[in-house]
Amino acid sequence: MPSMKDPMAESQKRARFQALCQALRPDLLRFAFWLARDRAVAEDVVQETLLRAWKAQDALLDAAAAKPWFLTIVRREYARSFERKRFVTVDVDELIAAEEPLLAASEDEELMELRAALFRLPDDYREPLVLQVLMGYSTAEIAAELGLSNAAVLTRLFRARKQLRALCGEDTRLDPEE
Amino acid sequence: MMDCAAYRRAILAEPHADRAELRAHRAACHDCTQYTLRLRRFESRLERALCVDTERMQARAAAPSEAAPPPRAAQPEATAAPRRGPPEGVTPAPRAVLPLPAEPRRSKPARRYRVWSAAAAALLAVGIAGVVWLAVPGPSLAADVVGHMAGEPQAWTRTDIPVPPSQLNQVLRASHVRLTGDAGLLSYAHSCVFRGHTVPHLVVQTETGPVTVMVLADEPSNSAVQFKEQGYQGVIVPVPGHGSLAVLERGGATGMDAVQRVAARVRSALTWTP
Repeated sequence: MPSMKDPMAESQKRARFQALCQALRPDLLRFAFWLARDRAVAEDVVQETLLRAWKAQDALLDAAAAKPWFLTIVRREYARSFERKRFVTVDVDELIAAEEPLLAASEDEELMELRAALFRLPDDYREPLVLQVLMGYSTAEIAAELGLSNAAVLTRLFRARKQLRALCGEDTRLDPEE
Repeated sequence: MMDCAAYRRAILAEPHADRAELRAHRAACHDCTQYTLRLRRFESRLERALCVDTERMQARAAAPSEAAPPPRAAQPEATAAPRRGPPEGVTPAPRAVLPLPAEPRRSKPARRYRVWSAAAAALLAVGIAGVVWLAVPGPSLAADVVGHMAGEPQAWTRTDIPVPPSQLNQVLRASHVRLTGDAGLLSYAHSCVFRGHTVPHLVVQTETGPVTVMVLADEPSNSAVQFKEQGYQGVIVPVPGHGSLAVLERGGATGMDAVQRVAARVRSALTWTP
């Protein structure tokens, strides 16, 4: 006999999931954007992420863990985008020029400069930095997400800020050597 | 005890870390305290920089610019070329075609209409944002003020002991300001470097708690703006011809009423000197 689903329960489940997606979507988009440095790719990645999450939502047992769960899917989907599009090299100046309207959005020149500097950071440094600053991940959480040791994460975060400060023309004379 | 290089390496990796060994080093090292202060201001800007406007992102994705450069895939000989690859430690998930959950497919005219609507809405939003942005001090001023607060936790002590008059006068004189009225019980006065200028950082004790005032003669503002950031709330009040005052409290216990009262009282008590 085919199983009968309770329409009310299904509707509630759907509403809960939609509310969750709506709440998390801005952060997912930001994370994808800083991974990809391309808003169109970020949009695609987030769209795919939401679809995949919808299919796998029963795997999400704890609503409090939703954000890291979604962010992990974003990373996987971004990785998967390399199967579809063969990006080999990128010209950072072109990336910045393409995204300039967004990078310069409604704020001051310093932020624009900082965003352009973020574009120039190597992926290995930018990603842990975004997870820490934007997503509020601890060092241990970043290490778990990236499959690195705590010490490696701390080194990358140190290098990320050191490079970023130099790129932004900050006074780095007191910055320590490695 | 940890040396300066080790401290700075640690704080560059985790600017908000507050472990006992870091606190102990800071307490004993003025240079590292100042270094931390500057780094946290930078961190505050970094947070704002990363927080891109996703509504704008979506609007632009819906209506791509005609002036946009051609796809990068067509330019394999790119210069300055960090390799782009999948994120570390991630194995791409197997490809699968997933149906949209009950999202009806739209017809082309409807989609085109949506694109134009999104573009028009984005343009309108940019216009309004531009007008608002021109009319009020930038939100980054509030962020920088809040960033500055993180470096001076001692300023938030609740006390009824006033700052010595000689210290208060020295701080005010350094910024060409003097008190000609009653600003209330001032418990803290310090000359701070803020955005490259020396500014008075004062704390006024109120019945509900301490309120911080920064006298920002080099930060003009056209109208009063309230802000709420990282556990602080306050207001930036214009002082025509003399920049602005940033007045704020921490944690919400003191309340915006007290902040507004202190702002009005300090503003009328201060006189700028040549």
